[in-house]
Amino acid sequence: MKNVFSSLHLQRVGWEARAGSGSAGPVPATSCLAMAESPPLREPVLDAKSELIDFQWKLGMAVSSDQCRSLKYPYVAVILKVADHSGQVNSKSIEMTIPQFQNFYRQFKEIAAVIETV
Amino acid sequence: MAGELEGAKSLSGLLSGLAQSAFHGHAGITEELLHGQLYPEVPPEEFRPFLAKMRGILKSIASADMDFNQLEAFLTAQTKKQGGITCDQAAVISKFWKSHKTRIRESLLNQSRWDNGLRGLSWRVDGKSQSRHSAQIDTPVAIVELEFGKSGQESEFLCLEFDEVKVKQTLKRLSEVEESINSLMQAA
Repeated sequence: MKNVFSSLHLQRVGWEARAGSGSAGPVPATSCLAMAESPPLREPVLDAKSELIDFQWKLGMAVSSDQCRSLKYPYVAVILKVADHSGQVNSKSIEMTIPQFQNFYRQFKEIAAVIETV
Repeated sequence: MAGELEGAKSLSGLLSGLAQSAFHGHAGITEELLHGQLYPEVPPEEFRPFLAKMRGILKSIASADMDFNQLEAFLTAQTKKQGGITCDQAAVISKFWKSHKTRIRESLLNQSRWDNGLRGLSWRVDGKSQSRHSAQIDTPVAIVELEFGKSGQESEFLCLEFDEVKVKQTLKRLSEVEESINSLMQAA
């Protein structure tokens, strides 16, 4: 699927910048061509995207708890520092299991591979 | 009465009910429900200590996250002690733990996580060609949506935009984590 989409160019979508041509067509602020997709995204509100400023991580091991004396559970905890469209900075902390982290890492590697071909 | 308490099917059902209540957060499984559904012929004053005994055994097994050797040793000891369990009951408990262990452990791990857990990750890559405000050509962006939330609470969503540089930077940090995990696994 990635190879099929990577051959598409914006001209085929029918949008081109025509400076000074007197064209009546409006110029959109951005154009979007979805190149590759994982399971369908909820449609994000245009201004709702944030930027990752920093992320901190730790690898922890939960040893024991009141519910379970023998947890032996390794986990990855991250703190994501994000700036929203207004510049406001927030931190979000998220914990994941090792398999979840490995999937996260694998997905990012895929993103990197795709973004290079665009 | 002892014969009825030994019934494998009823005991299996009882252990399921106990697991639902103790580990999987199912609120509605009361002593009365279990008694009425599984051991209706047994007087309540006999059923109550029997339930408590089974609950105790299941919690001990789960708390220690017993492997199968530990389980066999533990259950054998239970069959030998005064007021313990029968061999048939030990067999039912053993079978139950072997098939439910993973799920029960997962529930216990979730209960011990008090921060947000990652629930989902979706992404797409957009190609930008030109915008009203700048002449950037071919600057692709990755849009990543993270779904996360605390145990038992509604999901929150975070939608992040990454350019190619940011993707690479993030990937580098993630590879540091991976390296750390590999060291941990090797040391184990």
